[in-house]
Amino acid sequence: MTSAPQTSGSNNAGKSRDKNAFAPQIQVFEPHRASLPPLIPYLREFWRRRVFASELAKFTDKAEYLDSKLGKVWLVLNPLLLAMIYYLLVTVLKGGKHNNGITTLAHILIGLFTFYFAQTCITSGAQSITSGGRLILNQAFPRALLPYSSSISAFQQFLPTIPVYIFVIIIGKLMYPATQVPGITWHFIWVPFIVALVGITGFGLALAFATMNVYFRDTNKLLQYFMRIWLYLSPILWQPEMLHGWHRAVLYLNPLGPTLSATSHIWIDGLAPNLAEWIGMLSWALLSIVLGGYFFISRERDFAVRI
Amino acid sequence: MPDDLAIRIEDLSIKYKINVDTKRTLKNAVMRASKGERVRMRTVEAVKHLTLDVPHGSVLGIVGANGAGKSTLMRSIAGILPPTEGRIIVNGKISTLLALGVGFNPALSGRDNIILGGLASGLSREEIESKTDQIAEFADLPDGFIDMPVRTYSSGMYGRVAFSVAVNMTPDILLLDEALSAGDASFKEKSFTRMRELCEEARTIVIVSHALATISELCDTAIWMHKGNMLAKGKPEEIVDQYLKFLDVGTLPSNFEDM
Repeated sequence: MTSAPQTSGSNNAGKSRDKNAFAPQIQVFEPHRASLPPLIPYLREFWRRRVFASELAKFTDKAEYLDSKLGKVWLVLNPLLLAMIYYLLVTVLKGGKHNNGITTLAHILIGLFTFYFAQTCITSGAQSITSGGRLILNQAFPRALLPYSSSISAFQQFLPTIPVYIFVIIIGKLMYPATQVPGITWHFIWVPFIVALVGITGFGLALAFATMNVYFRDTNKLLQYFMRIWLYLSPILWQPEMLHGWHRAVLYLNPLGPTLSATSHIWIDGLAPNLAEWIGMLSWALLSIVLGGYFFISRERDFAVRI
Repeated sequence: MPDDLAIRIEDLSIKYKINVDTKRTLKNAVMRASKGERVRMRTVEAVKHLTLDVPHGSVLGIVGANGAGKSTLMRSIAGILPPTEGRIIVNGKISTLLALGVGFNPALSGRDNIILGGLASGLSREEIESKTDQIAEFADLPDGFIDMPVRTYSSGMYGRVAFSVAVNMTPDILLLDEALSAGDASFKEKSFTRMRELCEEARTIVIVSHALATISELCDTAIWMHKGNMLAKGKPEEIVDQYLKFLDVGTLPSNFEDM
């Protein structure tokens, strides 16, 4: 709802019909004195219609891969092939094969998969408003549901890459038993939390870029270059341990830096994320969702006019 | 608000700013900034100090030339555009058909689009699924089309599905913008019947149409909007007459041939 719906329990509008359908309600639309609409009703409506977001994600994926048999396989194949390319590149640049080849590959794979999760959240979320034209013109609903739907879709695309990673590591371990990749440790318990934080960070940034894309339609083009540079600045093709002293700031100034470092710690070193990483991850997630959310929600009443 | 009112509009004004520059891109913004130019904005006053009550069970027609603010008024009643000044109170569940088309993914089937439309309007999955057959039946598409991608539909079929979704959501208040231009004569008759049924159940309908015959036939009150102002309110025939006189074409039959 762009404006504030104030639900009231009693009225005569639909007393005898649709007992359990929609509770008839009185809605009052008024100018917002502050730039934000009343947040509690907004969030309540958002929560009430969350099924719409998840179904939209499901249907959109269905439409996308309707015509191609290999469709969904590409979701896994694409990052996997890219990881292979980067692996070759990194090992060649290092000058030949090291005995920790599998470890390097594992580091690139898990980093790339995690990064792509955030990237998909952001890039498809950024387009969700401008491509949702008719829907936005026809119905009132919390617009944040559209980028949220993109984030759900990104998560569904991310999930199958985890078994792929595990499969690659098992093959690697069988081929090179000396490889130092950990087996199952208790620290994997942190993985869902970290994935959730990546999702929140991605969703928050998607909200910001989706809003920007409404005002500047070339944001999306710019975003592609931005994402590529971001990828190289992230500890994926290089190890977070390569940074010392004040250079480590590079890691923490990157919204995904602490996450990727923590991911690498868990999956490659078998260690729990350290305190600095936790603080970094939580801060970035909070910062993106609050600032992105504020930017988006305070502007979303404008979307119907500008689309 | 009195219980017998479905919609109460109090001194409503809606203004918005539009960017006059053709291309809204970051590149242009940077270029402009480097030349020290300002962004050219224009304020549009789409609705000016409008006050209106719509009782339950009534059909309100809105006529007016392009740019009169009709669609903006409809969107603000639906809660899509917030008021700049004034207040709108709506009593009941709203269903809208403001932009033609169910408006989702052309690659998906009509049925999938109907489900998405229902979920967006706040129905639960079960509620919308229980209505899907009814909606599909009402739209009366040729055999099997409801399960085919929407991109294969003709524009008439597209419009029929959209209309069918809007009227079958059992809304308390139905907002229709130029919706009746879709569909052939027999579908139109069916639409009229359905809308009369809705009225008998004390539901409220607001119609924007250039089809003046529709306004005369269906509505029990009409308003005439011009450049954001409500110029007149009254019986549909009278309002349509006044509007036609204003257009300076008299009551030529051709103006009623728009259906």
